[in-house]
Amino acid sequence: MLFSRTVPRMSRRRLIAVAGTAVLGAAGAFRGLSGRYFPPDEGQPGAPGGPAFDETYRGRRIQGEPTTGGAAHGPHGWRVTVDGKPLGVMRRADGSYLSMVDHYGSYGTPLAAARGAVDELGEGQALGGLLH
Amino acid sequence: MDHTVHTAHAAPTVHTRRNQRSLSRAERRRFVGAVLGLKRSGAYDDFVRRHIDHYVSDGDDRLRAAHMTPTFLPWHRRFLLDFERALRRVDGGVTVPYWDWTKDRTPAASLWGEDLMGGTGRRGDRRVTTGPFARGNGWIVKEGVTDGDFLTRDLGRPADPLDLPTRQDVAWATAEKVYDVSPWDSTSPRGFRNRLEGWTSDIGSGRWRNHNRVHRWVGGHMLGGASVNDPVFWLHHAFVDLLWTRWQRQHPDAAPFLPERPPALGEPQYRRIVARHEPMPPWRTTPQDMLSHRGIYRYAE
Repeated sequence: MLFSRTVPRMSRRRLIAVAGTAVLGAAGAFRGLSGRYFPPDEGQPGAPGGPAFDETYRGRRIQGEPTTGGAAHGPHGWRVTVDGKPLGVMRRADGSYLSMVDHYGSYGTPLAAARGAVDELGEGQALGGLLH
Repeated sequence: MDHTVHTAHAAPTVHTRRNQRSLSRAERRRFVGAVLGLKRSGAYDDFVRRHIDHYVSDGDDRLRAAHMTPTFLPWHRRFLLDFERALRRVDGGVTVPYWDWTKDRTPAASLWGEDLMGGTGRRGDRRVTTGPFARGNGWIVKEGVTDGDFLTRDLGRPADPLDLPTRQDVAWATAEKVYDVSPWDSTSPRGFRNRLEGWTSDIGSGRWRNHNRVHRWVGGHMLGGASVNDPVFWLHHAFVDLLWTRWQRQHPDAAPFLPERPPALGEPQYRRIVARHEPMPPWRTTPQDMLSHRGIYRYAE
């Protein structure tokens, strides 16, 4: 049966994902030293979004702060920028975040979403202003 | 039971959407030519904009018609119909082909050939440099998220490879006996719609399923809000649309769309989702209107 084969396959995939995360968690501590890149989008959905941030990530300045009141098109509860250009960030029902650059990943925090956007922007590409 | 689609101009004949791999060289050229015609007229960028405008996430307290919602399928069916009608005004012999990503699974597939979609992006800025949708061949991105005006792709994400969804992944969705379940969003734990749309709260590469995973696999523009800039969007969504038709065929006794009635005042999804007989913005079309494409188009399978 197709379906009965599917279930263990999914479970296995999930196990691999969890194992991978544990490795990333350990390796991530050394990111600053090794300079290697690890996917930053392994957050904890449900977190309130974390504190405001201002850091350089892969040569890009990423900044974010919570805002009061949400606009219909734009930063819903957070103002996030990459090199000073606004990055549209949206919240998912499970508490995670999406960005305009990556609609299909789910990031635990706006910081993780900003780093994920930098990863996907590609070299030499700046944000162009479209939010949502 | 006959469901009709709201149309100003009913199509005189039923047209056929075909697997892109079965198109002849001449048919590929005509499809590409019609897409380029829409791009030149500005109509193509209206579709890009419309898709961006209707991307509302389910953490927002707003009506969402297009994603993370029961109307994900009927909304995109109508969106594709509008696009296909526009294409057919350019060339009446053209329809939207579909990409069966359970079969054409690599960047070497003919789909990505120079006479159809063109290939993946180059390293660094991920710019597509081959085929009709390369910047160098005249395809200019106007409604983008970045300041770059060229189409980007990152097929298969070579830096951290992942596979396209499999037949088994599709079966995991189509085996669902119910169309959709509460809370009617990206966290719906069961139901065909969310399993095909592909939202999970998993971590690692297992988080993307089916429809979402294909957007992730193509990468570049397809990953973001301006995904319609990549014409493969239409071929992907035509296959998603076909999978919906197959699900209906497999489950003839299932309610074809849920919810039947809008959530009441006080319920969490009140005024945030579209019920079976309500209009889906920006149209007056209802999910009910989109339940069948009989009489409009068919799929060659």
